[in-house]
Amino acid sequence: MLIPVAAAISLALSAAVDAVALPLFLDTTGTILATALGGPVVGISTGVVTSAVNSLRNPTFWPFVAVQVIVALYAWMAARAGLFRSFKTAVPAGFGLGVIAAITSTPISYLVFGCTTTGGIALTTALGKALGLPPLGACFFGSFLADFGDKAVTFALVTSVLHGLPRRTAARFPWALRAIRAA
Amino acid sequence: MGAARHPRGLTRLHPFTLLSIAGALPALAWIVPSPSGGLSTAAVALGLAISARAFRTAIFTAAPFWLFLLLLHDVPTTIAIGFRITTMVASFVWVVAALPPPRLVEAMVAAGWSASAAYVFAATLSAVPVLRARAGRIADAQRCRGLSPRGGPVQRLRALRALAVPLILSALHEVDERALALETRRLVPGARRTPLSPPSDHAVERVMRWALAAACVAALAWRLR
Repeated sequence: MLIPVAAAISLALSAAVDAVALPLFLDTTGTILATALGGPVVGISTGVVTSAVNSLRNPTFWPFVAVQVIVALYAWMAARAGLFRSFKTAVPAGFGLGVIAAITSTPISYLVFGCTTTGGIALTTALGKALGLPPLGACFFGSFLADFGDKAVTFALVTSVLHGLPRRTAARFPWALRAIRAA
Repeated sequence: MGAARHPRGLTRLHPFTLLSIAGALPALAWIVPSPSGGLSTAAVALGLAISARAFRTAIFTAAPFWLFLLLLHDVPTTIAIGFRITTMVASFVWVVAALPPPRLVEAMVAAGWSASAAYVFAATLSAVPVLRARAGRIADAQRCRGLSPRGGPVQRLRALRALAVPLILSALHEVDERALALETRRLVPGARRTPLSPPSDHAVERVMRWALAAACVAALAWRLR
């Protein structure tokens, strides 16, 4: 039951982002949270479901399902290492994920969509081209600008949630206690 | 999940056939050389979208990609990638319009998929609008308590945390309640369910699905030779 709820969290958070008008996606929040709570299989399943349901709104999300899988695996390693124990460890881990996510999404964005996945990324890619970067470099530049801060904020948000879990709920998810080094 | 409308025309096809068509068209658009390949598949996909009264949605979804492609690429590349993206968008928009989720769930259960696996998609679809509405209520409540979503980036990030954390915690709180509700309805791993009205899956359609897959493989082999 965690999988649909976590996937729905990823898709519904855009409403909160709209309210504060920040250039963030937070579309991997559910994947990272589900991984920290239920392990890699739950996390990967959440990522796949998130991409599938998101594709019903905008089909261009589907090819990026590979990024969701990478995010879940990275979050699993971060949870095992206890990197969700504080913002000081979570935010740098999120920056690391931002780089990995950009490296993963760049070839998909370049080969499948010619770097036109979303308006924001297309514009930053155009900026990279204007700065003299080669096409693939400009595409990475656009993806990097989109992912770097987004994943750090996502990791910080998941850390807040894990630390804010009521004891009774946290007790049902032993991996969550390990992720925040409370067990 | 709501009652499905009585299917008409192409929508009468088995859900797996509809998904096969929606998957094969973008695959062929990428495999067959441009622009003729992409133009043909885009024409078919847009025709399907018209048949499901989803033409406008397909066009409005695909149009921004053409603009951004023109911004980033020359005209031949824009046309080549644009037709492929249009095929992909129109195929998905068509299948979403033509295939009600309950019908897909019935087909998955009838094909032997776990009922809980089929339920995951329907549950996510139904949970998103509920959580979005709740996000709006949380935003209103936090504003009443003096939260300002304006200001510098740090202030906005604090506001985001004040909105997102209660939303996520409340959603997680419901996991137990939903799990209990599902268990009482025998939606547990390994349980078999009998679909009430499974969509008919004729031999012709099964052959058609295999033919679509074979066409994609043949086109790929021809392209790679």
